[in-house]
Amino acid sequence: MTLLAIEQLNVWFDLDGGRQLHAVRGVDLSLDAGERVGLVGESGCGKSTTVLAVMGLLPPNASVSGRILLDGKDLLEQGERSMVPHRWRDVAMVFQGAMNALNPVRTVGDQIREPIELHGIATGERAQARVGELLELVGIPATAGARYPHEFSGGMRQRASIAMALACKPKVLLADEPTTALDVMVQAQILQLLMSLSDELGLTLLLVTHDLPVVAQTCGRAAVMYAGQIVESGPIDELFHDPRHPYTRLLFAATPDLVGTDEVVSIPGAPPPLDRPIQGCPFQPRCPAAFDRCLQEDPALRPVSAFHRAACHLNEVAAGMGRGVR
Amino acid sequence: MKADPAAFRSAAGVSDEPLVEARGLVVTYPLRRGLVGALRRRPRRSVRAVDGVDIFVGRGEMVALVGESGCGKTTTGQALLRLVDPQAGTIHFMGEDVTHLGGRDLRRLRRRMQMIYQDPYESLDPRFTVQATVEEPLRIHRAARDRRDLQQQVTNALERAGLVPASMYLHRRPHELSGGQRQRVAIAASLVLRPDLLVADEPVSMLDVSVRAGVLALLDDLRTGGDLGILMITHDLSTAAHFADRIAVMYLGRIVEEGAARDVVRDPQHPYTKALLSAVPPRDPRERRVIQALKGETPDPVNVPSGCRFHPRCPVARAACREVDPELRPAGTGLRHRAACILV
Repeated sequence: MTLLAIEQLNVWFDLDGGRQLHAVRGVDLSLDAGERVGLVGESGCGKSTTVLAVMGLLPPNASVSGRILLDGKDLLEQGERSMVPHRWRDVAMVFQGAMNALNPVRTVGDQIREPIELHGIATGERAQARVGELLELVGIPATAGARYPHEFSGGMRQRASIAMALACKPKVLLADEPTTALDVMVQAQILQLLMSLSDELGLTLLLVTHDLPVVAQTCGRAAVMYAGQIVESGPIDELFHDPRHPYTRLLFAATPDLVGTDEVVSIPGAPPPLDRPIQGCPFQPRCPAAFDRCLQEDPALRPVSAFHRAACHLNEVAAGMGRGVR
Repeated sequence: MKADPAAFRSAAGVSDEPLVEARGLVVTYPLRRGLVGALRRRPRRSVRAVDGVDIFVGRGEMVALVGESGCGKTTTGQALLRLVDPQAGTIHFMGEDVTHLGGRDLRRLRRRMQMIYQDPYESLDPRFTVQATVEEPLRIHRAARDRRDLQQQVTNALERAGLVPASMYLHRRPHELSGGQRQRVAIAASLVLRPDLLVADEPVSMLDVSVRAGVLALLDDLRTGGDLGILMITHDLSTAAHFADRIAVMYLGRIVEEGAARDVVRDPQHPYTKALLSAVPPRDPRERRVIQALKGETPDPVNVPSGCRFHPRCPVARAACREVDPELRPAGTGLRHRAACILV
């Protein structure tokens, strides 16, 4: 059952000189209860902006349109008023670099306790007990709450930031690059933690990352973003073995695999600037298979199989000719 | 058997002299005692960031030095370039002992070895044009005959770094370049003096996935051209496996395993290497597996465990591992494959 549905989300940022940057351009994405979904793409593609919009935490120069439905209720309908009751209580987020944003002069326990009291979950000794529970939940001994962030390793600080996000027992956790800048061994431990949290608490997880192997190992489904749009979404297995957008295929091919022997490719060119209109398909200037229609018309995200959608004209050409896109 | 690296190389049929070779390299950093510590005359303590490292890079070779953060891989690279002074050990560069070079001799050496840093957003001066960035080393080392020669060398370096035509980039400043282009400018600036050795410290980790392969392929091309040797410091084992000839795995100031990239990745011998490789997520979702994460955190280099420094976290440690500090010795079936573990 759908728990969170993002419908036709658009985000613009006002820039100096009256210009506007269209950072998120009509994103549709839904998450079923208990599901783990990856949101992948390169820097500047709009993935962080998308999740910040879901939290209602965009900076003042941003404007938003579209709907964000939580259990069918639109969080954007009345702006901040409709968002506040759900932020942190139903939808929580682990920010990019959160482990380096802990307050250095307060104990970790105090910092986890703050949201618990602020949101009226518990006070006094009951809040303290909840801090202990949360720490244990993320694999830190409850007694370590009395320690300061500098006494924690990077992995422990990231666990503490996850504990903080879970303070109000949210249904959905948005994790923005939760393992970037961590060593591979610690990354493995944090991914294991996120997976066990979703399995044991039924937590719905949206994992935002540029790292495809991380998604391949943890998520059932993924959406690939490019230039503010979702260009392909579907089961992660199909995205890897049967990609239907050239960007998805190239992104996997650009990622070296430990034992794979295929050549690692780079994608020539750069994403289009988002502060001016884009003519045709945004990936067309970098696409090895682009043809005249791609210059004119931005392809819509269309179904290519039961749960798999892609925004590429080649799929229609292929459907017409009865063969695969590759 | 204690393997002498030179003897080992010749036994492995690699007779030619390495471009750069360090033996028994030790680099320590003093720890601050603080005012109270000094008044109480607490003993001065130090961190052994690099603690007995043997490593070499041959001409035309790319060696990847891999390990977790804090293991000493960057310090090793800096010591090879004589950017930090070793407390013990020797460094030979093209047969010459450069361990204690100073003054003019060191300056002469600097021309021949260059470093590429992780973050091209920080390593380039934002006020400098590409031209100014790339010509600066030539000016410092007075390596150009005249204006025309200087321009020719700048153009050549940029084009070798894949910025073609160079004239399109000369007058740009860093903010007008993409991340991949910035790193190429940094590479051009390090190539312009035609060095023999490049130390590339995490050269692509700040770049987007789609441009990483281009920069790595560039490094790969530069050394296959012949004389240039590259030491690539990286935490990314998949990148090392794809682009390096040899991999050296570092743990807590020591090299614990070393060999041809293919041998180290497919037939790891040291339990630490095995654990590290098992934690790398495969790209194919069908190859999903339970990750064998090691218990505990990397220990503090201030308090290095006795015996084998990996034993407190080692899944197969025996009593003897607490006593014996193992040497690198031949392991596995590959030529030139060595590991520091009493169990291999």
